[in-house]
Amino acid sequence: MTAVKQYLQLYDQHREMLDKHSCAPMNARRAHAAAWLEEHGLPDTRTEQYKYTDANAAFAPDYGLNLRRVLPAKNPYETFRCHVPNLSTLVYYVVNDVVCPPSATLRLPDGVRVLPLCEMVRENADFIDEYYHRAAAQSTDDVTALNTLLAQDGWVVHISKGVHLDSPIQIVSVMEGRADLMANRRILVVAEPESDATVLFCHHVSGTCRYLTTEVVEAYVHPGAKLRLYGVEETGAGSQHFCQTYAEVMQGARLETGNIHLHGEMVRHTSHIRLLQPEADARMLAAVVAGDGEHVDHHVLVEHAAEQCTSDMLHKYVLTGKSVSAFAGKVLVQKGAQHTVSQQTNANLCASPEARAYSQPMLEIYADDVKCNHGSTTGKLDETALFYMRQRGIAEDEARLLLQHAFVNDVLQRIELTPLRERLAHLVELRFRGELGKCRGCMLCK
Amino acid sequence: MLEIRNLHASVEGKEILRGVNLTIGDGEVHVLMGPNGSGKSTLSHVLVGNPKYTVTEGTVQFNGKDLLALAPEDRSHEGIFMSFQAPIEIPGVSMTNFMRAAVNAKRKYFGLEPVGASDFLKLLREKRQLVGLDAHFMSRGVNEGFSGGERKRNEIFQMAVLEPTFSILDETDSGLDVDALRIVAEGFNKLRTERTSAMVITHYQRMLDYLKPDFVHVLMGGRIVKSGDASLGYAIEERGFDWIKDEIKE
Repeated sequence: MTAVKQYLQLYDQHREMLDKHSCAPMNARRAHAAAWLEEHGLPDTRTEQYKYTDANAAFAPDYGLNLRRVLPAKNPYETFRCHVPNLSTLVYYVVNDVVCPPSATLRLPDGVRVLPLCEMVRENADFIDEYYHRAAAQSTDDVTALNTLLAQDGWVVHISKGVHLDSPIQIVSVMEGRADLMANRRILVVAEPESDATVLFCHHVSGTCRYLTTEVVEAYVHPGAKLRLYGVEETGAGSQHFCQTYAEVMQGARLETGNIHLHGEMVRHTSHIRLLQPEADARMLAAVVAGDGEHVDHHVLVEHAAEQCTSDMLHKYVLTGKSVSAFAGKVLVQKGAQHTVSQQTNANLCASPEARAYSQPMLEIYADDVKCNHGSTTGKLDETALFYMRQRGIAEDEARLLLQHAFVNDVLQRIELTPLRERLAHLVELRFRGELGKCRGCMLCK
Repeated sequence: MLEIRNLHASVEGKEILRGVNLTIGDGEVHVLMGPNGSGKSTLSHVLVGNPKYTVTEGTVQFNGKDLLALAPEDRSHEGIFMSFQAPIEIPGVSMTNFMRAAVNAKRKYFGLEPVGASDFLKLLREKRQLVGLDAHFMSRGVNEGFSGGERKRNEIFQMAVLEPTFSILDETDSGLDVDALRIVAEGFNKLRTERTSAMVITHYQRMLDYLKPDFVHVLMGGRIVKSGDASLGYAIEERGFDWIKDEIKE
């Protein structure tokens, strides 16, 4: 656990600069994070939660950081196209960890705000005090502590009470640089009571450098609100991405999270979703297509802390070439969380002999009147189905592709918003056909 | 159309076919009968190129081409279709997408552009009616949640869409009630032309009634041991296979 030293040193030496280019609520949490890291370091594979992802090794190289908050040379709104659109979204960019506000012409519906975190502090400091690092503070995750130590800004999405937002908010993150680079971002999403919104996160890289990204997303879903958070990983070789999601879901509210992995060398998602009041509902989806040399690790904890809450987790992984997936999903039913209904499903398709899938479905139940199911399957492509398709004239490669696509398609079909569902299903199909160039839409690297 | 000469084949090292000879001409329907385990399904699967089966000896010519040298998908394009004894379920691949992929693969093989959307839907509608499959089956996964009868009808539907010149029906009648059998057999009959041929595996007289085959063959121990016209089929239905076994011994 030595990798953390360089970050603690950096913090000691550049604390003033870090603070100067950030804001008070973020700065206030750094000392505690430093003390935590001093004590715990960064996890390697001896740590149960990081059994398949050596974070210590991932953080060991010497990455550059943009502590002075130098703005990107090019305006991402003009130079970058993420291809989830064609779908009308409200687009916001983060280049590395610098949030780039859009031009003044982008008008948001009344009651919706998307602001840089540091700007939100100036506008409504109490709001940030209330929400920043509240859900994440429940965590004992060391990478989250590192993010808290170093993050300087991020986006805040605020949906006012009763507001229904038809178009998804799309936050596009791009890593670009002339040298290997680390970025630490924060995202805060607050859905006030009875509101309804969708936020889509798209992750891209450009150029040939190596990038390390940490991202902490905190989501607060107030009573009766519906919030959907989808992430599309479309990075590629050289990208190491650690994403931590913490959510609080209140009475009768629903949170849906979706993780779509198209490309990315190494991705680790840690989620902790807490159902804190009765009738809260969480749906967690993951559709992963891992290509040769890719590593995707999902660690999901859903905590039923109140009565009559429901949760449904469906994580499916297609592994091709020499790729690795790890799924650790836990449903924790607290004492008193009676009438919990939860379902957890993990399915893995190893489409090549070198692919490896690790699966750890877990239930931990302290209430006695609950209905909890979980299951996990890992298998190869169905040879009889493959032959059936070939008999009908479908070439072997195409048949394999159709079967793999079908395997993850039922996850995509659960996405509530029709245009987004269709768009994402199309992207996944392009990915399978190899027509999704890594970073195709990107004009930064040309 | 099809010429099978001295065909030997094995599965998992066990020899099943031990020298099959069979010639099927244009427009002919041949029925293949035989006790369980005699090699009927093996012969079907060998003809469509199932990689589980290994041909150890012999030749198969299909319209002058060396059939055994072709990949399963190319055999399909060349006009060979098999209705599976146990049609496979493919969850998540809708019937529409499945058929579009199959139709376009064949078109590509013959250097044609992919089929237009409205032409394709028209084609599906027309062929569905032939076997009485409702439209909603097209949006379901291939055979996903289909009953036994629906699966068999779906096989004939696919045959209708792909318009093969040589069809193999591997116990398409098994597990069907009287009405379903009629629908399937009538559907098949409507697709018959002077240029299309078929090899039909069945155990039932009712199928013979509907199809009126030109030839009936008996397969035993991996060889065709007796051939005749439709009356041979009726004789088997009445007397079983033992008398043929006795005949061979003599």
